[in-house]
Amino acid sequence: MQSQPIDFHPPSEEAAPYLLPAADVFAGRARRFEHLACDHSLAEWLRFLARLSQAQHDALKAIPEFPLPEAQARELARNHGMPPLNLGERPAVWRDALRQMLAALDDETLPEGARATLTGLQTADDSRLEKLAATLLEGEISADLAGELPFIAAALQVTYTGMALRLDPASLQKLDAPAVCPCCGSPAVASVVRLGAAINNLRYLHCSLCNTEWNVPRATCTTCEDDKEIALHELEGTAGKNAGAVRAETCDACKSYLKIVYQDKDPNVDPVADDLATLALDMLVDEAGYERSGPNLLLIGAYSG
Amino acid sequence: MNMNRRQFFKVCSAGLTGSSIAVMGFSPTAALAEVRTFKLARATETRNICPYCSVSCGVLIYSTGDKSKNSQSEIIHIEGDPDNPVNRGTLCPKGAGLRDMIQSKDRLKWPEVREAGSSEWKRISWNEALDRIAKHMKADRDANFIAQNADGLTVNRWPTMGALVSSASSNEAGYLTVKTLRGLGVTALDTQARI
Repeated sequence: MQSQPIDFHPPSEEAAPYLLPAADVFAGRARRFEHLACDHSLAEWLRFLARLSQAQHDALKAIPEFPLPEAQARELARNHGMPPLNLGERPAVWRDALRQMLAALDDETLPEGARATLTGLQTADDSRLEKLAATLLEGEISADLAGELPFIAAALQVTYTGMALRLDPASLQKLDAPAVCPCCGSPAVASVVRLGAAINNLRYLHCSLCNTEWNVPRATCTTCEDDKEIALHELEGTAGKNAGAVRAETCDACKSYLKIVYQDKDPNVDPVADDLATLALDMLVDEAGYERSGPNLLLIGAYSG
Repeated sequence: MNMNRRQFFKVCSAGLTGSSIAVMGFSPTAALAEVRTFKLARATETRNICPYCSVSCGVLIYSTGDKSKNSQSEIIHIEGDPDNPVNRGTLCPKGAGLRDMIQSKDRLKWPEVREAGSSEWKRISWNEALDRIAKHMKADRDANFIAQNADGLTVNRWPTMGALVSSASSNEAGYLTVKTLRGLGVTALDTQARI
């Protein structure tokens, strides 16, 4: 009888360090917003965001190819430890995505404030839109743009997600700053603890702009990398739809926080939608003296003057 | 009014009325009223190593209570550390029951002795325990130490004493253990971390 070698160590799948966005990321988010809106104190706003996310999905599908930066420019960025997508050089197609979304959203069911904002944006010329985009991405913004900027952000999310989708995950590299997106350099909106074979229970930061996710260790501050003074806060006594699935991870070393959402508590949890459905958690953690370390671009100006 | 990058990230109750929500015509009133009905529940998250066997799996420990004097800390949950390359988030059944071991009412928390002829366990101090162990070791070593073997060769063996060292020991602790025990002539020396 012929002997057969036994492989005692079958190669196991390595956990992916980067997860590029799925093509239906916005459709999933729309369903999540819709689900979270039921019996919610901000139900109307969340339903509106569900429509906005669906419009994002339609725009992403309608635009055939989002142009990537030249291969040479990406190589240069790579050699200098920079992310491949450059926020300073937006492809002009983002304005097409915006105009398509504005047309899809405009109807009588919207409150007056939102309609006025939509009309204003629909009549705005290219230079005004570029100015708004630059203002948003630079993060030094004026509070009286709180109406316009979420729409600008939504269109830029579509564009950068469309670009990120076309990248090869193997071309991404770890940046010196662990808290910014390795794809576009934006700060993270929240972390998500994923379910899955090789990535089970691993924590990924979720980009606030391009929806790329990158792996960072759990029980470690995503801002200062301290692992001694991490605490998790959640809302007590909520029987809400996402109870237990959303927590705020605070660090007493740098007094910052970012939300962390758990797929094992709710497989449909979405870092953007569940973040906006738990603003009470932000307010209480803010009162406890922690500063949020990343933005949710769909909500602008929620700070006290 | 301009906001800087930090404020751009911030979400607080005082600001909701000037935010996108209100500007777009959605009312934040109910959400603001609701905030006062919530309380924050806090838990710390810490890394550690399972104490049981030689594999030394990484664990994440969750506990309630801050470090203030009046609050009693309590471990509420332990799970495998998914970032640990050894166990990748998994735990064996023993490791998965770690919390019960820590909180077991039968867990030994101090030295105890059952004197010869007695059926009772008696609590003693650490100093007394160490003194007793040292006396036992000395008596045993004096009685059984082998300085030379049958051929007259110097061997300095203490064959009646053995030691099994914990797998949670660091390299430095292992070094000191070997130096001490080999110095006494112990030959039966092993560590749990040696698979």
